[in-house]
Amino acid sequence: MTKGYRDNAPISASAFLDELMRLKRGSVSRRHFLGVTGLGLATAVLSRELILPRPAFAAEDLGTKMSIATWPNYHDPATFEAFTAATGVAVEVNVFGSNEEMLAKLQAGASGWDLFVPTNYTISTYVKLGLIEALDMAKLGNFDGSTQNTRFTSEGTIDGTVYAVPKNWGTTGFAVNTGKLKTPVTSWKGFFEAAKGEADGRVMVHDYQLTTIGSALKVFGYSFNSIDPAELAKAEELLISVKPHLYAISSDYQPAMRATDAWMTMCWTNDGAQLNRDMPEIAYVLGSEGGEIWTDFYAIPKDAPNKPAGYALLNYLMDPANAVKEHIANGAPTTDSRVAALLPKEMLENTILYPDEAALTPLEFGAAVTLTDPARAELMARFKSA
Amino acid sequence: MAMSAAGKRRAVTGLLVAPAAAWLVVFLVLPFIAIVVFSLGERAPEGGYQPALTLAQYMNLPARAAAFWNTLVLAPIGALACLVVAYPVAYYLAVKADPRWRLLLVSLVVVPFWTSLLVRTYAWMYILGSRGIPNLLTLVGIEDVRLLNTPFAVLVGIVYGYLPLMIMPIYVSLEKLDRRLLEASADLGARPVSTFLGVTLPLSMPGVMTGVALVTILLLGEYLIPQLLGGGKVFFIGNALVDLFLQSRNWPFGSAIAVTLVLVVVVVLLGAMRLAYRVAGTRQVDLV
Amino acid sequence: MTATHPNDIEFRRVVKRYGAVTAVTGIDLAVPRGAFVALLGPSGCGKTTCLRMIGGFEQPSEGEVLIRGEAMTGVPPYRRPVNMVFQHYALFPHLDVSANVAYGLKQMRPRIETGEIARRVAEALEMVRLDGFGGRRIHELSGGQQQRVALARALVNRPAVLLLDEPLAALDKKLRTAMQIELQSLQRNLGITFVLVTHDQEEALSMSDLVCVMNAGRIVQMATPREIYDRPADLFVADFVGKTNILDASVVASGRARLADGSMVAVAPSDRVGAATVAIRPEAIRLARKAAGDLTGTVTNRIFLGATAEYAVRVPGVGDLLVTADHHATSKSDLIEPGEAVALTFDPGAALVFPARSSA
Repeated sequence: MTKGYRDNAPISASAFLDELMRLKRGSVSRRHFLGVTGLGLATAVLSRELILPRPAFAAEDLGTKMSIATWPNYHDPATFEAFTAATGVAVEVNVFGSNEEMLAKLQAGASGWDLFVPTNYTISTYVKLGLIEALDMAKLGNFDGSTQNTRFTSEGTIDGTVYAVPKNWGTTGFAVNTGKLKTPVTSWKGFFEAAKGEADGRVMVHDYQLTTIGSALKVFGYSFNSIDPAELAKAEELLISVKPHLYAISSDYQPAMRATDAWMTMCWTNDGAQLNRDMPEIAYVLGSEGGEIWTDFYAIPKDAPNKPAGYALLNYLMDPANAVKEHIANGAPTTDSRVAALLPKEMLENTILYPDEAALTPLEFGAAVTLTDPARAELMARFKSA
Repeated sequence: MAMSAAGKRRAVTGLLVAPAAAWLVVFLVLPFIAIVVFSLGERAPEGGYQPALTLAQYMNLPARAAAFWNTLVLAPIGALACLVVAYPVAYYLAVKADPRWRLLLVSLVVVPFWTSLLVRTYAWMYILGSRGIPNLLTLVGIEDVRLLNTPFAVLVGIVYGYLPLMIMPIYVSLEKLDRRLLEASADLGARPVSTFLGVTLPLSMPGVMTGVALVTILLLGEYLIPQLLGGGKVFFIGNALVDLFLQSRNWPFGSAIAVTLVLVVVVVLLGAMRLAYRVAGTRQVDLV
Repeated sequence: MTATHPNDIEFRRVVKRYGAVTAVTGIDLAVPRGAFVALLGPSGCGKTTCLRMIGGFEQPSEGEVLIRGEAMTGVPPYRRPVNMVFQHYALFPHLDVSANVAYGLKQMRPRIETGEIARRVAEALEMVRLDGFGGRRIHELSGGQQQRVALARALVNRPAVLLLDEPLAALDKKLRTAMQIELQSLQRNLGITFVLVTHDQEEALSMSDLVCVMNAGRIVQMATPREIYDRPADLFVADFVGKTNILDASVVASGRARLADGSMVAVAPSDRVGAATVAIRPEAIRLARKAAGDLTGTVTNRIFLGATAEYAVRVPGVGDLLVTADHHATSKSDLIEPGEAVALTFDPGAALVFPARSSA
């Protein structure tokens, strides 16, 4: 076997290894099935075994280990290494597939996490269920509420109490390979039409009720968060009619887009930025009807075994000098003007990360009700089993 | 210290069985009881479980009828497809292969099983994806072949993923098959095909049944392969359970489905054992 | 299949090699129609290989095997008009007794109708005295019953030749004796040629019409049991079949030999002069209570066997001899005791002369 032959192989050994490493790093899309596969569960259990609950004897006693629950490919690993070097506290990172899954884990109890990264629309539920701490702002000297864009931060504060502080924000639109799909697609209506037409068999939707149902609702001009039975029925009809034409129902869309197996997919900002960076023909589009805008926050579970370390890491991450590295690593836009000042110009000018205001206006934040609404869950089950 | 011999034997038996029994109670019986209790409860408003005593969850089972149907169709078809591929391999390994190479060949069948199914399924995503076989087909002028995210891909993934589980029991039953029985059959005038159908196949039935039951049962809970190779477009009980527990957090409904699935598994098992007894005339179905 | 061919089985210069090992070294053999032939020899002598070449489970490396005059080269087992009773029987464990017996009938083309099969199965089971056992499972049967099922399963097909591979080896002695008689009468009644492989010389001698003694891949002697016993072709046969005293001797003239101790004895006439080996059956020697004679010794041991007794007699300079005495037939009412001095005599014709042992 010559070298040339290997290089021309459809799947070269090195390419496969790259993909495997990517899988190992958790560099799969944010709400990817890692949680679904049970890997998230395994790490969660492991962390519980490793970290014995210990009382906080003093604010200074950080212990030697802590655990964070977050999204895949969402941090600069160097950040945690630097934190460990500075404090002696080893950070165990658990990655999850969805907010629902994080909630399920916290509801089951004894998650073992000292810090986690919930999305805006889940925070009120966590508070209601008494699962997260009111943050002791005295321990978060690096956080500065006045430099935060309140558009993205408000849901972290409930009745004047701060329960969560923002990590970054983003949008949910769609990525489209303009080299393959010649007709420009600018709306969710166009998205679903192309799925049945020019891009038949080449379109992916999320395996996620919030965005998949929400985007279908937008086609009819309904709210992204609707739980109105008649409106949901219209969305269901659309989804079931498009299903036979879909390439896949999966939140792990990067590999298929990169392989050009799929030409168009529902997509989150950071994935869109990564795809566009590597394959410029892939554009990231916000549906003209609207769609989702979101903020991911940091919060501390009430039953965190090592709260001092949780606070210490959170305060460390709120330092703009540290936060900026996180943004450069995951490519998501920032809520903090101090961080924006440190970001490279090309990131700030990237309209995938920072669309103009007109594109943002129709977007809606996810609503807490969708998290727990049985009707949307059942709709999703009917769509997937249709 | 006076202990009768029988008493000692019982004590030893007890000691030998205790770890397994404790394990089963803690990790099988108690969770199952919990699931049964959950299945009679209600979903709390924010998800999870809220105590109740109602059969509402079971009444709601038709809402997942499609998932049950898909699963009950896929599992036996998948198992049979697996069988069709596995039997000749097991036959070759046990009957035809040079004994010197047999151990090596059997290892080659088993070794891939030691790596994660997730990783191996990912490999298939590349083989079946457009950079894989379809790309090779373009070299010979066949364009636009789509394999990934089709029922065919799911079948390939299932056959591949479960092959060792099917090969091994069949191999074991063929390997202990007395070669003189085959000679006796030939001696009595049976052509090779008749010998295979009249002797080899019936006598390997315990292995076949074990393999089919094993693979069918595991397939009843399968969700990863359809998710990865089928593009998540086919919804199985496994997917329904994952969604209900991890997404919509409807634990009582998920529990009711799990209990129902366990009952289905029991029925499948009993059916397999009855069939094996009828076919092979032996009560032993070596369920691993 | 020519019914007129006199031999059911013929081997023509048959050689069988396994890699570098030659199991059968150029055998010619003819088994006449209706005969009961035993292939007898120690393990590894090639007898089972010969049987398997008749059955078609092995192909000769050279030469050919003929069944009823037809060359069987390349003919698979299922096309040969022979059936085998396997060692350990090889009954089908998943089938009941009837289905085992019916197995061969069901393979026949044109098909035999079900009623006819049932009738012939019942008949075959009756023949082996297993009527009423048809519904039994194989593992429910005793060893002797399994043996009979194996016989019925083979015979029901009415083969030209029945092959039996150590068929009695797994049975206890009493059952073995009973089955020997049963097999013999079956063969007589059916008139089917039987070829039996055994390492048990007693079995071979008691059942068969012709014994074919094999050693190291060759046929050493093929003859009637009587002839094999009384006129062994060589020292190997003499030694392997029955008990024999083997004495080193020197033939001085035809019918006269000098033993190792210098005593002169009368032996069977031979062309040979010089170093030789003399073989005498234990029952051919007579003992007398006296201290003088051509050949004298001392009884060292006595084994009482009911009808007979076996004596071990030490003859100085010659060795230990085994003597079987039918003491009821002798006029002496008392047995000879160990330690007594005895004189040994035998008919010269019973002392067979063979070439000297290769070690001598």
